[in-house]
Amino acid sequence: MQKIALLVGTIGVLGTALLLGGCGRNQGGDRVVVVYVSEDQVFSEPILQDFERETGIKVKAVYDTEEAKSTGAMNRLIAEKENPQADVYWANEPIRAEVLKQKGISTPFVSKQAEDIPPVFKDPDGYWTGFSARARVLVVNKGVQDRPKTILAYTDPHRRGRAVITNPLFGTTTSEIAALFTIWGDEKGREFMSAMKDNDVAVSTNNGESADFVAAGRYDFSLVDSDDAVNRIRQGTPLAMVYPDQGAEGIGCFIVPNAAVLIKGGPHPGTARKLIDFLLTRETERKLAFADCAQIPLHPGVQTPPELKAIKDLKVMQVDYAAVAEKMVAIQPFLKSWMGL
Amino acid sequence: MTRRLFLAFIVLLLLVVGVLPVLSMLVKSLFVEGHFSLVAYGGLLRSARQWTLMGHSMALSSLVTVLTVTAGVPLGILLGKTDLPLRRFFTVLFVIPLLIPPYIVAVSWSDLLGGGGLLAHLAGAEATGAAAGLFFGLPGCVFVLFCVFLPIPILLTMIFLRTIDPGLEEAGRLVAGWGRIVKGITIPLILPGVLLAGMLVFLLSFGEFSVPNFLRYDVFPVESFTQFSAFYNFKAATAAAVPLAAVTFLLLWLESVFLRERTYQLRPSPGAGFSPLIALGAGRRWLLVSVALAGLVIVIVPLVVLVIQSAGAGAYAEALDRAGDSLLRSLAYAVGGATLLTLLGFCTGYLIQTKALPLWRSVDSWTIFLFALPGTVIGIGLISLWNTPRANLVYSTPVIIILGYLAKYTALTSRISVTQLGRIPPSMEEAAEVAGAGWWRRMAFIVAPLARRGLVAGWLVGYIFSLRDTGITMLVYPAGHETLPVRIFTLMANGSAELIAALCMIMIAATLLPAGILWAILEVMTRKAAR
Repeated sequence: MQKIALLVGTIGVLGTALLLGGCGRNQGGDRVVVVYVSEDQVFSEPILQDFERETGIKVKAVYDTEEAKSTGAMNRLIAEKENPQADVYWANEPIRAEVLKQKGISTPFVSKQAEDIPPVFKDPDGYWTGFSARARVLVVNKGVQDRPKTILAYTDPHRRGRAVITNPLFGTTTSEIAALFTIWGDEKGREFMSAMKDNDVAVSTNNGESADFVAAGRYDFSLVDSDDAVNRIRQGTPLAMVYPDQGAEGIGCFIVPNAAVLIKGGPHPGTARKLIDFLLTRETERKLAFADCAQIPLHPGVQTPPELKAIKDLKVMQVDYAAVAEKMVAIQPFLKSWMGL
Repeated sequence: MTRRLFLAFIVLLLLVVGVLPVLSMLVKSLFVEGHFSLVAYGGLLRSARQWTLMGHSMALSSLVTVLTVTAGVPLGILLGKTDLPLRRFFTVLFVIPLLIPPYIVAVSWSDLLGGGGLLAHLAGAEATGAAAGLFFGLPGCVFVLFCVFLPIPILLTMIFLRTIDPGLEEAGRLVAGWGRIVKGITIPLILPGVLLAGMLVFLLSFGEFSVPNFLRYDVFPVESFTQFSAFYNFKAATAAAVPLAAVTFLLLWLESVFLRERTYQLRPSPGAGFSPLIALGAGRRWLLVSVALAGLVIVIVPLVVLVIQSAGAGAYAEALDRAGDSLLRSLAYAVGGATLLTLLGFCTGYLIQTKALPLWRSVDSWTIFLFALPGTVIGIGLISLWNTPRANLVYSTPVIIILGYLAKYTALTSRISVTQLGRIPPSMEEAAEVAGAGWWRRMAFIVAPLARRGLVAGWLVGYIFSLRDTGITMLVYPAGHETLPVRIFTLMANGSAELIAALCMIMIAATLLPAGILWAILEVMTRKAAR
């Protein structure tokens, strides 16, 4: 009986080890790529499935959750610095890609597919390449007669208590505030934030909630991502989208591209480069423009849906994303105290 | 000797699976650049936010506990002790919310009450604005967790009712009506069960992550998850988990002092089958309507909302297209997890029941402590221990998910085994031993067959809890190995309401179908045993 039990146990352990060994870090060789994704799964997964179909390379993905404020994948990459599991990181904004560069987690890769993407949306050393961008726009309730045209509307006393902003500790709102600090300087940046608070601005948990509040008429306007605005406008909600600060004196609209990043020491570097090439194609940008995320193509001449302006028709906020990443870390204590934490 | 060696191996296994990860994260949080430091914990005491979070966690858990016990005990008595019609149907009905991931219940009510929900479409957003405002916050969390955990006091009340010697109530009936008997005899005798139910509900609410997170109510598990996942502040995440561990530890200590012996001896009274039922008389019809209404609101309404919401064209086709692989993986991991949980729980239960090693009480306490800890904390512990190149066979494979299941849910299968093994007369094993059978032989041919109902029940519970796990899996799943609950969570970001509802329905079916089949098998086994 003991021998039988020993035999059964040994077979079980060996079988399990073989089964799981097949799932190990280097499993699949050049037919597999591991990607960590911060872009919403509902939009990114179809693109990755297209890549699988076209190349026959199996994509294994880890997706972020809204609950991790879209930084879970990046933090997992940081946690795995000494034990890299991922080959590619699909960041939903370049700030995260900059953080990985600064921490020595990514490695340079210059894709030929990105040659005509404007230099402002690429890391000069090739650590990340931007594609398919969101614009930071003002979403305004259609019932509002005097529509705001600048983000300074947040400090306009005539609009006291009528504006909502997403929690500035997370996501693209943090990035935009950091970008403003890099352009205006710390003093003017702090003054803007204080004036906004004095003007009784409301704070929501995410951009979607901000847009919903405006659609419901609880507030007049909010600064959100263009995909949140377009999505709701397509659903027939009473919202209008305003690209802010487009005048001659305006600082322009903050653009948040996705970023493709090659991970240093990843298990499948060959397939990783193929995936990055694929993400940076004009066709991927076209698909993401017509999907519900409605992202703005960065390649010139890519077709866009009618709700979106082409990148060439926008006055873009001229920022150095590396400086924004550093500023974002620097202003965290200020933002926490602004939030009363 | 064989027995003691094998059980020592089981203890070692439990240490590696559950205790080491938690210890690892605790130790790492106490060192900064190689030097001992309490800096992560300093913030815990200084920050007003921590006290706010503690207040929120305590308020949520206390309210859920009071409400579930207040409603669950009378319901348990109604379903287990009276002649109310359809008692078995209602019992099964009320158990359903406990079997599915709690956030699915939250999603369903959000689809009904939320800003763009079904009610807003029917009655207008202005009319339902207040309800939506209330739902996203403490009241919504309390309501959802009340629905989810209500079965715990109901079931424990029913189980403890079966441990009462019918002779006591019969004697009472000679001098008093049922009202006085229930108040003076029944309730005092089931009080340990009521307290156990209250403690379990409190701990589970205290550690619940997904519902407060979905309904935007800041509590400690959400803070711990956010510190780890959004800020990657490992030490702050551990520090945020300490109050959870402390409260858990305190409650378990109280349980070990006041209740443990009572719950070890949990077995039906010999005459339980002949226990007299309370005749409800004229109030029977009204009580039936009340129970039916409660079942309608707590169980049927959320299910119907999901059915309506998922009825859009192609929602199920899209759901299966997007999450078919996750569904299969979930089923495979749940089956694997349940099988290992059953084996480990059986061995642990045997150790506790036979007291074969002096460590038996500690082993019981460890497993329950791990069960009560939030899944996110165990997940962080697992990453802390296994995220090294040498351990990739664990870290980069589904083994890490299975280890998470074993760490968190062994207490369930262990306690079921303890109860089942307690019903086997020790003389059975002793007789086999005298006849010359070795320990393995006695286990395989005497103990395990006699405990088969407990094994099947343990497997069923292990399957359900492995399948519905979100907190651990979401943190540790390797690339390409996400489960269905995790896929639902990740698709919630901008996924359509129809798609999410369809995925929730698929999740419910994946839980209830196998659970129903095994439940039926258990019923057959029970009837055979009764003959």
